[in-house]
Amino acid sequence: MLKIDHLSKRYGETMAVDDLDFEVTPGVVTGFLGPNGSGKSTTMRVIIGLDRPTHGRATINGKTYDEFKAPLREVGALLDAKALDPSRSARNHLRALATANRIPIKRVDEVLEFVGVASVAHKKVGGFSLGMSQRLGIASALLGDPGILLFDEPVNGLDPEGIRWIRDFFRSLAKEGRTVFVSSHLMSEMAVSADQIIVIGRGKFITSGTVAELTANATGTVYVRCADATRLGEVLGALEGVCEPANEQGLNVSGLSSDQVGEAALSAGIAIYELTPQRASLEDVFMSLTADSLEYGHHDAGVAP
Amino acid sequence: MSDSPTLVDTTRSEMLKFRTVRATFIGLATLVVLTIGLAVLITIVIRTNWNQRSLADKLAFDPVATSLAGIFFAQFAVGVMGARFITAEYASGAIRTTLTAVPRRVHLVLAKAIVLLVTFFVVSEAVVFAAFITGQSIYRSGHLPSVSLADSTVLRAVIMAGIYLTLLTLIGFGLGLILRTTSVTISVYVTILLIIPIIVNFLPSSWQDHITKYLPSNLGESMLSQTPSVRSFAWGTAALLLAIYCAVIVAVGAVTLVRRDA
Ligand SMILES: Nc1ncnc2c1ncn2[C@@H]1O[C@H](COP(=O)(O)OP(=O)(O)OP(=O)(O)O)[C@@H](O)[C@H]1O
Ligand SMILES: [Mg+2]
Repeated sequence: MLKIDHLSKRYGETMAVDDLDFEVTPGVVTGFLGPNGSGKSTTMRVIIGLDRPTHGRATINGKTYDEFKAPLREVGALLDAKALDPSRSARNHLRALATANRIPIKRVDEVLEFVGVASVAHKKVGGFSLGMSQRLGIASALLGDPGILLFDEPVNGLDPEGIRWIRDFFRSLAKEGRTVFVSSHLMSEMAVSADQIIVIGRGKFITSGTVAELTANATGTVYVRCADATRLGEVLGALEGVCEPANEQGLNVSGLSSDQVGEAALSAGIAIYELTPQRASLEDVFMSLTADSLEYGHHDAGVAP
Repeated sequence: MSDSPTLVDTTRSEMLKFRTVRATFIGLATLVVLTIGLAVLITIVIRTNWNQRSLADKLAFDPVATSLAGIFFAQFAVGVMGARFITAEYASGAIRTTLTAVPRRVHLVLAKAIVLLVTFFVVSEAVVFAAFITGQSIYRSGHLPSVSLADSTVLRAVIMAGIYLTLLTLIGFGLGLILRTTSVTISVYVTILLIIPIIVNFLPSSWQDHITKYLPSNLGESMLSQTPSVRSFAWGTAALLLAIYCAVIVAVGAVTLVRRDA
């Protein structure tokens, strides 16, 4: 069990992580979602003891990372696949890690084989492509057969086949009862690879739940076309709905359900010609959840990224 | 999987890392070439010009120190190697992987220090003995005064030369822990060994007598010296002082590593 306990991390003026408090449960893939600069990597660095928290702590089965004498047997982490000595071979890199944690050396060849880099195991990692480095990073994470796995933006640099492979792989790790915690800044990626999602923005917790829950909770807009759009707009405005004219007779209403809009129109005696709930897409949900917390967001909404 | 890893496992892991990069062997080869090569060069130059020397020069001739003078060049090679053993990890980011495997940071410093201490003690001693023997045989071939290891003060001086190089490797390592970047570390290291002695030279001579003998390079000369002068420390005191510098710098480095984010 991975527990983030009122964790904060400040770098100078920047509050990179601000009182995060959640648990990551075994047996499912948990997504850690947030826009760029929202504190995902910082949280992961604190979990594995690279950075000291300013407040709070992160614990693994009740202990902080640096309390483990053989941490690779408890937690496997892939944070930065390129953070390797470029002049050492892949196999020697893993041998050094295995030695430090008393992991049998035969395990090195097993994991190299498993991630598909056995054929280049004797080559210097400096020459590896990002995808190959990612695979080697996954091999290091698996080396100690840990119960908890952390991956920071693992699909970066992988080709579509690699992405599918890694998704299936996360699922199988979770099925074996492990805790799998995967970060991403892409909702669409999380939607297909994670069972449970934790959303953060500017270092703060925003929400958590399954993909279905997150989409259900976020009310989409309602399109309504009626006999008197101006008056309906006033009526709905009084109910705290936000109306935007869509065309001469139509309004896009947010903040109210289609039922509420229909009932309000009936009691105001305005004839309705059309009433359509517009379902929020996953990206819409993510955008609306994190809109207030964008660090490096595209504020000019008209420009598609 | 077996029981908990200990300092022995961390040290074995660091030793494996040390010997699985080519830079290690290039560095060690530089140490060998500088120390033995300069012994050959210096002793041949002295042998060639021996007859032009004045009597006073001939009496002041130190066959031990001249054959070991290469260590004052090799000290830069070992310092850089000691520094790079940690700064190269910062440069590539590999330090984060290392600390993930070994979160007990003092452990990590000890393991790395042990690897450097053992390797550089063995290699440096082998190299200084080779330099000494080569130098003496060159002197003997020119019928110059030469000395043998049977003389215990000579044997001591040669051993001290190897210890000097070993301690300087660790000083480079400690500075690397504190400063993290290879270039900055090397600049500071060179400043300590070369620039500070030059600055001290400009101080009033009454001050110089108090300061100069404490400088690392002067401690090295004292460690090799057979006949201590009043202006310098005896070999034992000099070795102890240098070892204390080294321990302090590495300890400050360990504290820095523990305190700061990786
Ligand atoms: N070592 C550091 N020193 C100073 N500021 C930092 C440091 N590391 C992160 N930050 C700042 O902390 C905030 C969170 O950064 P972090 O890398 O954790 O975000 P992230 O969610 O991983 O972003 P991304 O999706 O871009 O990877 C950012 O504002 C970043 O600039
Ligand atoms: Mg990140």
